[in-house]
Amino acid sequence: MAQVSASPAAPAALSSHRLRRVRSRVPVWHLLWLLVAAIFFLLPIYSVVQFSLEGTLPGQGVFHWYETVFDDPMFRSTFWLSIQISLETVAVSLLLMVPTVFWIHLRLPRLRPVMDLITILPFVVPPIVLIVGLAPMLRKFSWLIVRPEVLALIYVVFALPFLYRALDAGLRAIDLRTLVEAAESLGSSIPGTLLRVILPNLRAAIIGGSLLTVAISMGEFTVASLLGFFTFPVYTYEIATSTAYEGVALSFISFIFVWAAMLALYLLGSGGRGAAGVAITD
Amino acid sequence: MSTVELRDLRRTFGSVVALDNLDLDIRSGEFVSMLGPSGCGKTTALRIVAGFEWPDSGAVIVDGQDVLGQPANKRNMGMVFQSYSLFPNMTAQQNVEFGLRVRKQSHERRAKRASELLDLVGLASAMSRYPRQLSGGQQQRVALARSLAIEPKVLLLDEPLSALDAKVRVQLREEVRRIQLELGITTLYVTHDQEEALSISDRVAVMSAGRVEQLGTPAQIYSGPRTAFVANFVGTMNKLEGVVMSSEDRVVSCGPIKVIVPDPTFIHAVGENVELYIRPEDVAIELLPVGGSPAPGYFEGRVTSLTFLGPVTRVGLRTDIGALLADVSSAVALNLAADAPVAVQLNASSLRSLDASPESQSAPVS
Repeated sequence: MAQVSASPAAPAALSSHRLRRVRSRVPVWHLLWLLVAAIFFLLPIYSVVQFSLEGTLPGQGVFHWYETVFDDPMFRSTFWLSIQISLETVAVSLLLMVPTVFWIHLRLPRLRPVMDLITILPFVVPPIVLIVGLAPMLRKFSWLIVRPEVLALIYVVFALPFLYRALDAGLRAIDLRTLVEAAESLGSSIPGTLLRVILPNLRAAIIGGSLLTVAISMGEFTVASLLGFFTFPVYTYEIATSTAYEGVALSFISFIFVWAAMLALYLLGSGGRGAAGVAITD
Repeated sequence: MSTVELRDLRRTFGSVVALDNLDLDIRSGEFVSMLGPSGCGKTTALRIVAGFEWPDSGAVIVDGQDVLGQPANKRNMGMVFQSYSLFPNMTAQQNVEFGLRVRKQSHERRAKRASELLDLVGLASAMSRYPRQLSGGQQQRVALARSLAIEPKVLLLDEPLSALDAKVRVQLREEVRRIQLELGITTLYVTHDQEEALSISDRVAVMSAGRVEQLGTPAQIYSGPRTAFVANFVGTMNKLEGVVMSSEDRVVSCGPIKVIVPDPTFIHAVGENVELYIRPEDVAIELLPVGGSPAPGYFEGRVTSLTFLGPVTRVGLRTDIGALLADVSSAVALNLAADAPVAVQLNASSLRSLDASPESQSAPVS
């Protein structure tokens, strides 16, 4: 009888014991620092959410400003336009960068420092300067400058450092030369090897780079505004200047979208075959 | 089964000569190892055969046809690499099937072949495992199966066992040899491990400075090194410095000891300084009683070190002709101690005089 009554209490005792052990292992100031960081990052988000739920008139729902945003046809059209531009940016960036970085790693490793330097430039040159420099050239292609696809071409440059670094890290993580040579010795051509062997092993890097590219494209305001395209960030700005509550609700919606996209891509990347497993020694 | 001929291969990297007019013939179905220290050019030669490197000059002839004009993916040569080269995104079976998929073979045929080969390397039960779920030895087995799946003309192995621990290495090298004999595939094997090369090869090409120093069966290489480099690189050698006393009778004086060189090609002028070589197992020792003197044919020495090697113990000796090493049965060595006086005898029939740069170096070896 005593045994029966004692057994449900045992796990609780064990977990509290474990908790005490964890607490004793983690210094208090670590937890404090974590708390400060959490407040730093979460407080603005909390403020945004709280603000977006205020300012409603009697009879309007708590989520009035969100309903207003979703009911606005401009929201849907600008959001869709930005998504299209983001996807185009990702597609162009990957088509351009994956073979380039692959080839540099495989055959031209001496060019890596040059690439490092080139890909830093978009960090150094502000978007406003870039667009002032690009505008005269773009005007020569009048058919292009009126199409929103031109933004994708410009965003490729903005996304270059992020995508390059993601791919560079991904390629450094695998024994590229051996894998390529192994595939070649088995009769595979270089494009075939890239497609069948290298790309599947770069999935996490490609997804990570693509995610950053989407984030940049979805949030870019300066160039889109200067070139006169009504993208989602431009729309958000206009709404925010006219109705603060609606603008803040819109900001939060874009937060949620980026987080959802990140989560989806993370899940896609971490589900790689062969990525998990037990390493066995002889 | 194919023949491979390397003709006058020369490859330089800047001022470094990796291959210096290398010549080597590999017969059909033969297992030849290229053995040498780091930087001797053995891997460069193998990579040229595989099509991953190109020589400055020379030819690689497979079945009478120069293949240097063909890219690596058209040469049909199976290769196993030093580092683990399995495709991480594919299972063991998919790795083995890869070459057959490239050749657009049917799913059934691919699966059957993969199953046969994984069975051959003893990994039939690991078909669905990813490389990370395999040990190093298992990964190299799969790599071997993968390279054999395409039925290559030649099997190339670039130090495939060097990343494995000693026990697995011995086990796997025996398997490599068993499979090679079973399939009768012409094989070129690169290693810096002399024991590995001597134990599994039909012939061994000892390489130095981009050239084949000596090509021969493992027994020929070990028992009859033709150069000082081969003698020193393969096994352990004692080097004796001497002066020729009689050219006709091939008598050499090594300090107070006079020895007769058995090699009839030993032609040196009287008074010339020569180097003689003898292996530790050809040096016999006997414990001298206190105050005793060596019997005729022996000379005195003192034990300086004892290194237990299992069945034999390597004894370091200080003698009048310099420091020597002798291998004695470990049971006998139990009676020896540091500084113990011993009588030393050289097996005269095993004494060799070796040139540093024999004429044979420039001639094609086959």
